[in-house]
Amino acid sequence: MVPSTVAEELRRIVGPEAVIHSANDLRIFERDGSIEGAMPDAVVLASTTEQVAQVIKVAARNKIPVVPRGAGTGLSGGAVTIRGGIALQVTRMRRILEIDPVAQTAIVEPGVVNQELSLVAAQHGLFYAPDPSSQKACTIGGNAAENSGGPHCLYYGVTTNHVLGMEVVLADGSVHWVSGDAPDRVGLDLCGVLVGSEGTLCAITKIKVKLLRVPPSIATLLAAFPSIETASQAVSAVIGRGIVPAALEMMDNVTVGAVEAHYHAGYPTDAGAVLLVEVDGIAESTRELMAAIGKILSDNHGYAMREAQTPAERELLWAGRKGAIGALGRIKPNYYLHDGVVPRSRLPQVLSAVGEIGEHYKLPVANVFHAGDGNLHPNILFDMRDREVLTQVESAGEEMLRAVVELGGALSGEHGIGLEKSAFMPWIYSEDDLGAMHRVKDVFDPDGILNPGKIFPDPSRKTVHLAGRTGLAVEAKWW
Amino acid sequence: MVVTTPAVEKPSTAEELARKLHEAAAQKLAVVPVGGGRARGMGGVIAECDVELHTTRLDRVLEHSQADMVVSVEAGITLEALQAELAKSGQFLPLDPFNSPGHTIGGLLATGWTGPLRMRFGSPRDFLIGIRVALPDGKLATGGGRVVKNVSGYDMMKLHYGALGSLGVIVAASFKVFPKPLHDVTVSSDGGWNAASHALSTEVAPSALELDSTGRVLARYTGSPDAIKRIVGELGWKAIEATAWDEHSRRAPERWARIAVPRQALRRLVQALPSGAEWWASPGVGIAHWAIASDAKVVLDVRARAEAAGGSLVMLAAPEDFMREVGAWGTPPATLEIMRRLKRAFDPDGVLNPGRFVV
Repeated sequence: MVPSTVAEELRRIVGPEAVIHSANDLRIFERDGSIEGAMPDAVVLASTTEQVAQVIKVAARNKIPVVPRGAGTGLSGGAVTIRGGIALQVTRMRRILEIDPVAQTAIVEPGVVNQELSLVAAQHGLFYAPDPSSQKACTIGGNAAENSGGPHCLYYGVTTNHVLGMEVVLADGSVHWVSGDAPDRVGLDLCGVLVGSEGTLCAITKIKVKLLRVPPSIATLLAAFPSIETASQAVSAVIGRGIVPAALEMMDNVTVGAVEAHYHAGYPTDAGAVLLVEVDGIAESTRELMAAIGKILSDNHGYAMREAQTPAERELLWAGRKGAIGALGRIKPNYYLHDGVVPRSRLPQVLSAVGEIGEHYKLPVANVFHAGDGNLHPNILFDMRDREVLTQVESAGEEMLRAVVELGGALSGEHGIGLEKSAFMPWIYSEDDLGAMHRVKDVFDPDGILNPGKIFPDPSRKTVHLAGRTGLAVEAKWW
Repeated sequence: MVVTTPAVEKPSTAEELARKLHEAAAQKLAVVPVGGGRARGMGGVIAECDVELHTTRLDRVLEHSQADMVVSVEAGITLEALQAELAKSGQFLPLDPFNSPGHTIGGLLATGWTGPLRMRFGSPRDFLIGIRVALPDGKLATGGGRVVKNVSGYDMMKLHYGALGSLGVIVAASFKVFPKPLHDVTVSSDGGWNAASHALSTEVAPSALELDSTGRVLARYTGSPDAIKRIVGELGWKAIEATAWDEHSRRAPERWARIAVPRQALRRLVQALPSGAEWWASPGVGIAHWAIASDAKVVLDVRARAEAAGGSLVMLAAPEDFMREVGAWGTPPATLEIMRRLKRAFDPDGVLNPGRFVV
């Protein structure tokens, strides 16, 4: 519970109906899309920047943790109030403030849903490129905090490449604009540092983003492969030929089975893996690229290739991919999902390690991921009601991440470190590396009130076996 | 000002560089990091320089994984040497800065200099995926990694990119690299702004488009052959040799400035430059470079207009007295105090490039 004087102040700032503190209601805000949860002491539903600033001032004065929160779809525990305190909910700030079709920019409040922005921008022939699979629900504010990706980030880049500037509230409650729409701004790139800082450096209250022209032509191809290995080889072959498609996604046999049963999108259920490839541009270009890609895929054991003939067919193919994780609920009610990244050429190795780890723990694993980026998404499937299996699931997840790191990879490609991976940060960063990041934290949030317990390892929380691993990546592999 | 000859250090490893930096910082000596020296005129007149810390002996390619399209290099390698290495595998780094050749990778990251290809590929801010930096306390700190997509920890690349070595000295970097385009065509027109605007509004944007004060427009189209054939055919400009870009990238007047504004404001701003002014611009990006032949008052006037449009005018080189008169950077950003706190956190004694950057 927050002290009653604090609760009173919060009610005065946002109004009594916008402060939640009954245990039953708080439970809704206990978790995000990841496994671990913790109850906030209060939830504040902010509607304006001024309210966000006032709430943070109150928290700062009372040294109470504040965790900014969007739709709560995050997958790394970023929005979980692990040290209690205030969950600062920004989903009421959901106005698209401006779309400038000439400059091709938009200014949005943090609670605007990702897909909504593209839908509105479409009236001007524009779209917002980063497209997390949760885009029907996740917010632009959450995307900016996590530096989210999505299938089309292979060609278009992730959130940070599309954010031009932000209005942010710092830990002392002060409000600032960082960056803007001119290139090469004078001074340090604060905006670049704040995007992806997972709510640990600031709360985001407005985001100015780039919009792109909707490509005149889009071609989408589904191809089956006998195995994950052959599909991975095909991915390398496409990119090795100098072709960077807009998206290049892979699903394994387990995923395809679940997706087909759910969406009837015509996915070949006998395949060891399928690839979903998309190219866009003018018609000449997509035709030419798709012909080249089709040839490379069939030279690399691709079969049952099917190009979407209508926008509706394309939608259906994508519905299967973007809804894949939901469809996995047919197999088990819960999933645990990591998003390690490896150099693309290591995909076959890391996927076979993932398979072995699943077998070892006797846990079904479904892979659905951004193959072109080397960004894995192994979903460990389980039933949360079986409390014992949870430890197994976490151990399996940890081993999968170890395999990723040992192959020269990184802990997270687009979901963030958050709570779940903070203990593993020393696997890829030395004490000095983390020390430099911590200097940034201390500059922005000297009292540590903003989303405490995230990103940096918390020695009091979990023992991680580091023997022989600390600094491994830095000393032996990276440089 | 007491003029002294600075000590020149040319360490050959990152560790040695960090040690030299630490030794100097411990004695509160002013340190100026130097790469290829192509951007030494950028920034405020340096208050003191006790030690010049050259990165030029850190010139190795650490790893180039062709299949992963990722390269890691030491900071002192020149852009040309890196491109030669990548070209062996049909790849390249889409970076073509002015005042070439001779830039080092570290220098380009520290200064944030870019060129025409930025229009299609963005700046290194977009394809820098890992960085290693020597800090004044002697520590070597790494951020990012060698994968093309990574949100593990803070984005330390953004912290140092364009910071002009004011928080630390970049010793190594990893990049996402790109396949050489299947097809690469350069065309030219003498149609000035209108021709440039027309090319930018067609269905397929060029990968680079440059316009200069003579009215000449250079456009570069890269991608699939059929698409380029149609677009270039519709445009009807004359095809020229790609060497035009090398010539263009050698531009470096003795006194010049970079004007950077939201791209829709660029034309108005450039057209307000003094008549007869020599300039070249990337209208698709919002950047113009101006070879200054006017007095300080005119420069300040142009800067005021650039700032009013939400942008900046930054001096890239000028004689010292001129630089003092106009100032290198213009009005400090509103977030200056936060930047100062970051500076103090990394360089508490202010030994790095004193007086040169914004903080």
